[in-house]
Amino acid sequence: MTNLKEVVKAEEETFDIEPGMDILKVNKKLALKNRELLRKHKVKAIDVMGSIGAGKTSLIEKLVQALKKKYRIAVFKGDLTTTIDAERIGCHGVEVVAINTGRECHLDANLVARAVEKIRLEDIDLLFIENVGNLICPAEFPLGTEKRVVVVSVTEGPYMVVKHPFSFMDADVAVINKKDLAKVMKVDTKKLEMEVKEIKPDVKVVVTNALKGEGVEELVDALGL
Amino acid sequence: MTTQIVESVLAEAEKQDAKKVTEVHLTIGKLTFLGIEQVRFAYRILVEDTIMKGSKLIIKEKSGVIECPSCGYKGTLETEDNPMYHVPTPILKCPECGEAAKIVEGKECTIERIRMVK
Repeated sequence: MTNLKEVVKAEEETFDIEPGMDILKVNKKLALKNRELLRKHKVKAIDVMGSIGAGKTSLIEKLVQALKKKYRIAVFKGDLTTTIDAERIGCHGVEVVAINTGRECHLDANLVARAVEKIRLEDIDLLFIENVGNLICPAEFPLGTEKRVVVVSVTEGPYMVVKHPFSFMDADVAVINKKDLAKVMKVDTKKLEMEVKEIKPDVKVVVTNALKGEGVEELVDALGL
Repeated sequence: MTTQIVESVLAEAEKQDAKKVTEVHLTIGKLTFLGIEQVRFAYRILVEDTIMKGSKLIIKEKSGVIECPSCGYKGTLETEDNPMYHVPTPILKCPECGEAAKIVEGKECTIERIRMVK
């Protein structure tokens, strides 16, 4: 038997900390770093976003064909698992780095920074980054590019702009692709254009038929290339 | 995103040698793509088997603010309720002069405060 009656415990201490940490800022900061690095090497970078099947790869192929004499071009191609598109673009004689995200539905500034390590920035002037096919999430994650392009196509239906307004808020150029199918799809491209401008008045809208290369010249102008 | 939130809170708690996290206060901008309902759902699953289990998640929403580089207007981002589609569409047009305005607030997801027990 002991005389122990009570045990005195050091009191648990409850306290608050205020980290004020912006989770999205981590990506934004990395994006700024990418931008500075690209600027230092005088590389113009363009982020191409849009749904699966909107025509991003076809447009990039046509842009590469139109611009490869004027610029030394590299392309980063984001996809979950395959390198099908990367190989398609590679056929045009430009350097391509495939970025496989595994499961992620978008590229982020960190993945782009890792892809940048794979190329010699001294050897290029223009970089296209084709984002993962997805009209929503990529817009949340800036990559550090000078310009952002959103590609939509008339086969996605007449409401894709009003349904996805957030995707256009950070865009510099919006492409409405597959204009040759507009009539069959009963989609008015003029109306889509107005809806984009309503969300962001300074966005440049270009209507294209990427497979035939129609509107590519206008797109080159809109990108200031 | 929620994984990143939980990982960041756990890292802060570890730095402080905390035994338990009891409250997490977040501010989520209305112009992010984060759905509050979904963040809450993912949070509950992610904190299982961590010292954050059972913690309260308090989320404050922050409205979007735009600023017009042309006329200097600064104010809350207007959304247009389109009755045809039942979606609020954000309008980046300056309500004063009609030029393109820039987003200055509403794109953040900030861990404001963490309450923990040592």
